[in-house]
Amino acid sequence: MALLAACGGSGGSAPESAATTTAPAKPVSGGTLRIGALGRVSAITRDPHGTQANESDYLIISLIYDTLTAPGATENTAPRLAASWKADDDVKTWRFTLAQGATFHDGTPVTAEDVVWSLRRLRETPSGAARLPGIKTENIEADGDTVVLTSDYANADLPLLLRLTTFVMKKDTKEVADAPGSGPFKLEWYRDGNARLVRNDAWHGGEPYLDAIEVKIFESPQAMANALLGGQIDVASNVGAVAARTAAARPDVQVLRRPDDMAMPIVMRTAEGSPFADPKVREALRLAVDREAMVKQVLSGYGKVANDVLGTGDPAYAEDLPQRARDLARAKQLLQEAGFDLSKTYQLRTTEDIAGLAESAALFATQVREAGVQIEVVKEDSGTFWDKTWLKGDLYTTYWGTNDSVIFFSSKVMVTGAGQNEAAWSDAEFDETYKQAVGTLDETTRAQALRKIQEIQHARSGYLLWGMADGIDLAASTVRDLPKLPGYGRVQLERVWLARA
Amino acid sequence: MAGSGIAAITRLAWLLTRRIALLAALLALVFAVVEALPGDAADATSERGESVADVERRRVLLGLDQPVAVRFLRWMAGLPSGDLGVSARGEPVLSLLAGPLPNTLLLGGLALAVTVVAALGLGCWAALRPGSMTDRVISASATAVLALPEFVIAVALVLVFALWAGLLPAATLAGPDGAPAAWSMLVLPVLALAIPQIGWNARIVRGALADEAKASHVAAAVLDGLPSRRILTHHLLPGALPAIAAGVATSTGMLLGGAVAVETIFNYPGVGALLAGAVADRDTPIIAGVVALTGVAITCVLLAADAIRAWAAGVRR
Repeated sequence: MALLAACGGSGGSAPESAATTTAPAKPVSGGTLRIGALGRVSAITRDPHGTQANESDYLIISLIYDTLTAPGATENTAPRLAASWKADDDVKTWRFTLAQGATFHDGTPVTAEDVVWSLRRLRETPSGAARLPGIKTENIEADGDTVVLTSDYANADLPLLLRLTTFVMKKDTKEVADAPGSGPFKLEWYRDGNARLVRNDAWHGGEPYLDAIEVKIFESPQAMANALLGGQIDVASNVGAVAARTAAARPDVQVLRRPDDMAMPIVMRTAEGSPFADPKVREALRLAVDREAMVKQVLSGYGKVANDVLGTGDPAYAEDLPQRARDLARAKQLLQEAGFDLSKTYQLRTTEDIAGLAESAALFATQVREAGVQIEVVKEDSGTFWDKTWLKGDLYTTYWGTNDSVIFFSSKVMVTGAGQNEAAWSDAEFDETYKQAVGTLDETTRAQALRKIQEIQHARSGYLLWGMADGIDLAASTVRDLPKLPGYGRVQLERVWLARA
Repeated sequence: MAGSGIAAITRLAWLLTRRIALLAALLALVFAVVEALPGDAADATSERGESVADVERRRVLLGLDQPVAVRFLRWMAGLPSGDLGVSARGEPVLSLLAGPLPNTLLLGGLALAVTVVAALGLGCWAALRPGSMTDRVISASATAVLALPEFVIAVALVLVFALWAGLLPAATLAGPDGAPAAWSMLVLPVLALAIPQIGWNARIVRGALADEAKASHVAAAVLDGLPSRRILTHHLLPGALPAIAAGVATSTGMLLGGAVAVETIFNYPGVGALLAGAVADRDTPIIAGVVALTGVAITCVLLAADAIRAWAAGVRR
């Protein structure tokens, strides 16, 4: 850090030369940031409400368009196009007040009508029901300059669920590809996944520092790392641990770690008929895994040990739950008590969708062998996995990139009947507590419920969460104030600035 | 003369028909193979949380509920009018290919040109001094590099010329027009592709020239005391041309195949990435589109090679 500060100061062009060198550098405006992001040309989508498979597309879209709310650092839901929000007492009806002075890039003001049109458009997409859970199209309405959303059920976390895909376009936009947004940067050109964007001086959130951002699409992390090391780009976004190891020896490259970026839990099916239906068996596997070794070997140390509770980045995450550690004796005892058949070989299905996933499965299989459990790892290609194994298999790896909310996971994958209940888990006490948490605006009641949700998960859910992978970006030494948030928070580039070299 | 002209045209037409039929059969195979893979495009491009009913809705939208034969025929029917269909994500395949395909053809074309020039040069150089040190070094290196996979060469080139020496860019970045932003970005990908093919073709040139040297008219020219360069250009090369043209034609397919690997390593904005992604997504229209258009390109080169062979044979008669 000291080295970087010294470099920044040695430029000599800093106007505040009287300031002490230890003071944090004052951001300066100007410059073009060249940022690489992963994406496949075949999967390009320009529709803000389309199926986003490419990080590069999502980055470009997030710079051009504003979502209603956004991931935040201290609170997990921060204002964006919506400046504030308030629920009625039944926690079903939510009113969102739009930011003052928000305008589209063509100069027209953003109205509640525009937001309503965009949200309804989002709701009508094939996955609209999952993106705006509990909100029917007709329950998205404008009331003067506020947007009113009415949920089918009490949902204290609605603002949180609006963070990622609620991009706002002008009402009745026909040509989506080059439609103006209201975001911090304006599109200058776009071609085959690459784009150049320039500063939106009129952005409602304050003037961004950078003059322009050039987004470059990369198919492989390796090529992206090479481009960064060769000085062709300034940031390699979400490039991964392998690249970080390569770059660690380079003093002119910053390796930035964003904790709680990716969860790669092992799913143990809890339903009748599964070998893992008995909570004792699941507990045994959770005791048989060597978490430290997993983090060290699978993540090259770029991560931390986890405790079988999903949503580790939540400000309300229960840090004080006892950390589960390896205990082979206890694991063996539990397996015996449960009458688990140790003569059989069980299959653990995995994919190579993300770096480290298949490796985690292989190492896990080796580790649990010491508790007497025979596991064969079956690597499936992505299409087969999502079609045949996901939501159905007895034992498989999964991964999630949004990890800053305990409630997000509870609603998506744990509550009885959730559309993506990966372990087919159904727990009456959990469901009851979940309802309590989302049905109240009272801070104390909510905090207690959140705590209990995590205790129950920790005790008996279908997940084995051994660790959390850091998100890793590489950056040139001049790049300052890159987002530190995990997951989709990495696209917020409006406060980034370039130090004069 | 007129008779032979008509015969040549008939021959060409027959060749063309055969090549087109081959391409159509290849495209049918593409549809069949993708069909045989587990899962389909509706599944592969679905978003987590999409319900079974929603995926089914998109499946119908994409026409994937139709039998594969029907989908193939429908796709083929659009071909003559230049309609390559729509990708699973709703983008027209032609517009998806508009940027990457010319880039790949540029890469492959440059690599082919470099291959031809270098292979001819090296092959002739070696042939002019049979048995010499030069000959042996060229032949041995040609054999060594022709067996090297393109990606090994590519990685080595990046390490040496980009990351260590810092002379050339490690990655190819596209400019606003979709083409590589600078010419310097083409050097390493072209070399990675061309080096094995230069090895292969230099050996063919050297061998063809050696065979030709045994012909009586060459021996006569040597006895006449003609300078060796004149013997090479007027007596050896014309005879060796058909064999050389056949070798280069073979390289065309190898170059486009190798381009897929090389493009990934250099992040070159070509069809390689598009193709790899489309296979993962079971996106048949994209795969078939790439196969059709690269197939046409290869066919053109093969036809040119045939023409050169026919012309060389005519000259000799």
